[in-house]
Amino acid sequence: MKVKEIMKRDVTSVKPEDNAMETLTLLFKMQISGLPVIDGQGKLVGMFTEKDILRSILPSYIEKVGRFVYEENPKSIKNKFKELENLKVSQLMRKEIITVFEDAAVCEVARIMLTQKVRRIPVLNKENKVVGIVAREDIIKSYAKEAEWKIE
Amino acid sequence: MENRITLKFVFLFSLLILIGFLSQRMGIQTQQIIALTIFSASVFATLLFWEFRVAIAFLGVATLLVTKTVDLENLMKFASLEVILFLVGMMVLVGLLKESGLFAWIITIILRIKNLTAKKFVFMISVMSALLACCVDEVTSIIFMAAAILEICDYFEVDPTPYIIISILTTNIGSAGTVLGNPIGILIASKSGLTFEDFILKAFPLMWICLLLTIILVMFWYHKGLKKLDEKIRDSQANEFLIRLISIPPEKQLMLGLGIFGLTLLFIALHHRLEILFRLETNTLLLSLPLISAGGVMVWKRKRARSYIEKDVDWWTLLFFLLLFAKAGTLKYTGLTEVLAKNMVSLVGSNPKILTGTLLWTSAIGSSILDNVVLVAAFIPIVQSFGDLGFALQPLWWALLFGGCLGGNITLVGSTANIVALGILEKERNIKMNFFRWFWVGLTVGVITTGVVWLALAFLPFYK
Repeated sequence: MKVKEIMKRDVTSVKPEDNAMETLTLLFKMQISGLPVIDGQGKLVGMFTEKDILRSILPSYIEKVGRFVYEENPKSIKNKFKELENLKVSQLMRKEIITVFEDAAVCEVARIMLTQKVRRIPVLNKENKVVGIVAREDIIKSYAKEAEWKIE
Repeated sequence: MENRITLKFVFLFSLLILIGFLSQRMGIQTQQIIALTIFSASVFATLLFWEFRVAIAFLGVATLLVTKTVDLENLMKFASLEVILFLVGMMVLVGLLKESGLFAWIITIILRIKNLTAKKFVFMISVMSALLACCVDEVTSIIFMAAAILEICDYFEVDPTPYIIISILTTNIGSAGTVLGNPIGILIASKSGLTFEDFILKAFPLMWICLLLTIILVMFWYHKGLKKLDEKIRDSQANEFLIRLISIPPEKQLMLGLGIFGLTLLFIALHHRLEILFRLETNTLLLSLPLISAGGVMVWKRKRARSYIEKDVDWWTLLFFLLLFAKAGTLKYTGLTEVLAKNMVSLVGSNPKILTGTLLWTSAIGSSILDNVVLVAAFIPIVQSFGDLGFALQPLWWALLFGGCLGGNITLVGSTANIVALGILEKERNIKMNFFRWFWVGLTVGVITTGVVWLALAFLPFYK
């Protein structure tokens, strides 16, 4: 089975120059954790996810200090959250993006998701344009269908 | 981007060809030229190609072997696996300490100072930076100090820059205090036969003198900022919020981690006496104790053992060190360091005081630009060659240690601690350090502390 058979073709995306806070609001509204970032030429340039937001508002050293418990949230978090209003998506997005081509096998995409720890992967055509997006959910649903299991 | 890298590589190769050409004109033998050129490539790689340095080290070592500049057996000996294993053991222990929250617990001690004043604050962060750097490595210690300083300065709404600078300066000074503070400490101990006790008796007090002098100097240098902090402290009455901000209850795991680390430090401190007692070779226990503790930790935390080795050990840096030591050893193997040592003696004369001074200042100035491990690795075989010429080596080892650590204060890229802490400052507060804002205070502290060490090494018979 190819990924193009199970991917979602209706891709919501944001532009690199979009406002970070507005994009975050969009994520909340859509109840998803990330969106692809596509520039004016239709080229995929990054992924904007809740993880990037967390990384930008938490102290940058938090991953290096081991157990460093803040009982009260540090003041910097409040300031950095407000700062999102002045930031563009391009300043926060992850630029190393994992993508697959539409002819990739579903199993291969599932393997990439597991090994690279990503939830959703943009799908490209031969011209490197985004033609869809595939999430873990789509893959599991396709397996369920194959097993003739009806998910309520 | 690609063009810039190509340009840098062209520059590097031209420089290496120039070094080769000049050394040939000076009458140096072919194998010595190869060893020198390949070692120089590593030095320039740390300056120009940080991301390629391990690749350049791989290629360099392979070239040394293929050109028969050194044989496999000696290359393995020079790689100083004992130093690498010591650092691996310490990194695993530090991993355990991080995970059990030791550092956050230490930071709460600063936050709980009663009747906080700006001067007390500066004294506390300076002494803690220095002592933390003495017990663990300087990079781990500076991350925690920088984190604490940023939180405290945020709370009082003052510019954190002077306090970050103070903490970096004192971290670099503190890293000379014991064998554990800096990779060059264990490197020198392993090559010189100096023991932990020697470091405690000779380097530690000298480190304290440098530290106290620096504290006085920075209090004077930043007196305006301190006055402002004093006002802010008075306005906010008490530091209740700070006490609540970071809090780690001393749990069982923390106490155990602390116990293991404390015991390791105690045995490391006694290693020389134990080695005499058990008739072991000098420094056998110094190098094996971190392995014993790390081994114990990995039995205790067997599920985490792989993660300690894979995540807490900085293999990238260690592999670079291993190959660097191999290349530095080859300099001596080819007889080049002997030539250099003789030239140095003929240049500065055979007065040991002048030689010590030259080595101290050269290594201080050198490590203000270069990674101090690269510099010390290059100087160790030269110092060993001075021994063959009949010089007393102890003052030279101390000169190398203090030069390598104190020189890191002179410029903002002088040591890894500087780069890490200023990186945090930039990321967290958007404050980009200006070269000269650092340089003047760094140079003053660097010159005064190196000057004090110079006087001590030259005039105190204790250091002979």
